[in-house]
Amino acid sequence: MRRSALAPNYGIDADRVLATDGVVDAFRRRLDGRYAVDEFGGDPHLTDVLARAVSPVQVRVEHAENIPRTGPALLVSNRGIGVVEPVVLVLAVRRAAGRRLRVIGAPELPVLGPVLRKVGAIGYRPDDVAALLRAGHLAAAPLSPTWLRGGVGEPPRALLAATLGFPVIPVVVRPGGPLGLPLRPWRVVVGEPLLPPAGTEADDPLAAAEISEAAREAVHNLLAAT
Amino acid sequence: MRVLVTGMGGELGTRVAQLLEARTDVDDIAGCDFVPPRRRLHRAHFARIDPRDHDRLTQFVSDFEPDAIAHFGVYEPHSRMSPDEAAHASESCTVHALGAAERTGRLARIVVRSAIDVYGRGRGHPLVPDERAPLAPTSPYGRTCLDVESVAAGIGRRLDIPVAALRYAVVAGSHVPSPLGRLLRLPAVPVPAFADPAFSLLDQEDAARGMVEALVRGFDGPLNLVGPGATSPWQAVRLGGRIPIPVTGPGWAVACRAAELAGAPIPPHVLELMCHGSVSDASQAVDALELGFMVPTQEVLADLFEWATVTKLPEQARVA
Repeated sequence: MRRSALAPNYGIDADRVLATDGVVDAFRRRLDGRYAVDEFGGDPHLTDVLARAVSPVQVRVEHAENIPRTGPALLVSNRGIGVVEPVVLVLAVRRAAGRRLRVIGAPELPVLGPVLRKVGAIGYRPDDVAALLRAGHLAAAPLSPTWLRGGVGEPPRALLAATLGFPVIPVVVRPGGPLGLPLRPWRVVVGEPLLPPAGTEADDPLAAAEISEAAREAVHNLLAAT
Repeated sequence: MRVLVTGMGGELGTRVAQLLEARTDVDDIAGCDFVPPRRRLHRAHFARIDPRDHDRLTQFVSDFEPDAIAHFGVYEPHSRMSPDEAAHASESCTVHALGAAERTGRLARIVVRSAIDVYGRGRGHPLVPDERAPLAPTSPYGRTCLDVESVAAGIGRRLDIPVAALRYAVVAGSHVPSPLGRLLRLPAVPVPAFADPAFSLLDQEDAARGMVEALVRGFDGPLNLVGPGATSPWQAVRLGGRIPIPVTGPGWAVACRAAELAGAPIPPHVLELMCHGSVSDASQAVDALELGFMVPTQEVLADLFEWATVTKLPEQARVA
């Protein structure tokens, strides 16, 4: 006998943010196990619950129309301090496009790795990122960190090679105030999607190098313009 | 087409035989196993042969002269046999049944049951492997499946025939004997204390459909067959209304012993699933075999727990 009356994944979408539960309902749902888990270890219900905790963080998104409302895309963003920007980017995509962003770079460490995967991060393996995009998700690949220096870091070439064919969207995340202090809202600027020439196959080294440079340059230009 | 179904006594083997019986392009069906089929079969001929009895197995296959094999003689540890017996029976059934079929000279296609355990789990292994991922099993069952695939692929190369390897996720269902199913139905279930990895399940009907489609299409190569979506140990335990017992490190040895005493031994590949997860990318199989709708993992899991509900019949008058 099937529980065909049940909505798929108990009404929770792994990609889109739908209506969220109240605190009591959310607690009851966790207790009963009526939530979704996706193939990449993400727990969208838990991210919805945790999103409430960061709701005071203010983010201003510019050119949000460049974020696809459905389908896969790889966002390539700058990374200064390295920890805060991905969280802000997740919030920006969630608020502007109503979608869940999967940040690439969860370390393979006990406790920390599983916790980060649970809230939507994914490891750095190019094959896994390619599988994530094939499944229709949005992923964010930060450039290498520049710490408190200006400019942008190196692009993730291996990732871009494995994910050739999917749209690459340059994004810039700027702190609201000096040294990332929350004096003003964070600013997220989304660039035009970049696409490799038609017919490009995955793992084409020349095409990967070209799109890596194009992504780095696009992030650099966005950063210079903001 | 003359189809041999090894492991016909299992839930999947029996269901595949039923689906083949309904096809007009299948002329003859024969099968063998150490237990009788689980449902009534009309056209299929069944012989009760222990897979470790090579002489009888070889004779049976030689007499039948199959031109296609659906090889379900791959036994999961602690499903219906102990781990050692399962490994021995799988090896014997594969080598002797496939070998005897090869020698008849009529064999035209093979489909073998395998498992996504051939990719291995844990650090350094892909999280969601597709068919191109490196094969590096980390459990005895994964190694058994890889050996089965290798033997079949060798025969395929020698005879120049298509060989498909269906790499199943854990097949669960209301009547499928499965060590994971038994474990999750315990009143208290050990779960990883500091992790909650994703794993996928496969519905028994989808597993049987996949086998039949791969067989009649003569598919060549490996295919992952996995139910859409995933679940996790903590979620599965709560969904079943069981009590989660957080376990870590050496505590797993104690938990395995306790589960064994409770009637649900945990083989290494199930322990690996609980600690590192078990998912894979099945998009190629859905396209290649045109499987259409597949039962999501969450529904397979719901079915697993519904099985425990027994409707008691009213007591009848005493006969004697």
